[in-house]
Amino acid sequence: MAVKRKGIEGAEELNLVPIMNLVTILIPFLLMAAEFVTLAVIDSTLPAIGPPPPVEEQPDKPPLNLSLAITNKGVTVLGADAVLHPEGAAPVVEGEERPPTVPCKSGGYCMSLDDYNWEELTRTLALIKDEYPDDENVILVPDSRVKYEIIVKSMDASREDKSNRGPDGVARTLFPFVVIAGGAIN
Amino acid sequence: MALKKARRTSPNAELSITSMMDMMTIILVFLLKNFSANDVSVAPSDMLQLPSSTTSKAPELAVNLVIAKNQVVVDGVAVLDLTQVPDEDNPGQSMIVVPEDEKRGQVITKLYDRLLEKAEAAKTLAEQSGSEDHAFKGRILIQCDKELPFGVLREVMYTAGQAQFGEFKFVVYKVE
Repeated sequence: MAVKRKGIEGAEELNLVPIMNLVTILIPFLLMAAEFVTLAVIDSTLPAIGPPPPVEEQPDKPPLNLSLAITNKGVTVLGADAVLHPEGAAPVVEGEERPPTVPCKSGGYCMSLDDYNWEELTRTLALIKDEYPDDENVILVPDSRVKYEIIVKSMDASREDKSNRGPDGVARTLFPFVVIAGGAIN
Repeated sequence: MALKKARRTSPNAELSITSMMDMMTIILVFLLKNFSANDVSVAPSDMLQLPSSTTSKAPELAVNLVIAKNQVVVDGVAVLDLTQVPDEDNPGQSMIVVPEDEKRGQVITKLYDRLLEKAEAAKTLAEQSGSEDHAFKGRILIQCDKELPFGVLREVMYTAGQAQFGEFKFVVYKVE
């Protein structure tokens, strides 16, 4: 037909220049607003100032005051000796410090973030969580030389157990509420 | 010559921009996906590198306290300079500290004054608005460089606590 033939023969190219103009303006704008790293926050509070809230009577179990002492030798788990050492803590040799619960991978001093044994710390905390399923608080007591990234990493290690996921794929929550204590001020 | 010949055959050669349009469309879609209107912004530099974490809480608006390697900044205004001193326990290495003359006990005086101003301003605002949503809760966003020793952070946190900011939100990069 005549119309059809005209459509094929006289096919003009679509004028894309106005769209190009629009897109060229949109791209710088979106580039500025684009977010390539996602930010998140970790909540923490100061240790409560003032009288502690009345403790509910729990005759079966003493309250768990789980604390993590973070030093350059590793992480020491405090307040859970009943779980970690059911037969009583190993005797400490006179004049020597008690070794950290989770020592550095290389032994001795931890040189970097990955030198700390975070998997082992999470495993230890999961054991404690088994005994105290209702407890959600952990107190961090870092040494004043410990780097900030190590503190953040220890919060991660104590928040959830990534190796233990439920049927819905959600990691098991351990101790999500973190309080940073001032540590021993020296 | 070949060039001359080609020009002669098509004197009004138009630039084909269709393929460029294809590319632009893909870039546009990609950028739209990455679009975000976040309350909190970070200006990363050599002096401020945030740590990474697996937390999934979204940041919210609060007083913004930045502790970089060289200075402490509150809501975009530099408050205090940090100094490097030789580390006594590790000879040859240096350590970042808050200068002694800026401190009164454990409190960093300049920072305390500045944060107290912020707290008072937020309280006045909360009173005027009268709504529960704007009540002063003592929230503070802390962006801290990942290399900083806990000693500096502890003094800053203690000072913030004295200035009625007790709910800390540590800003981190999210990793999956």
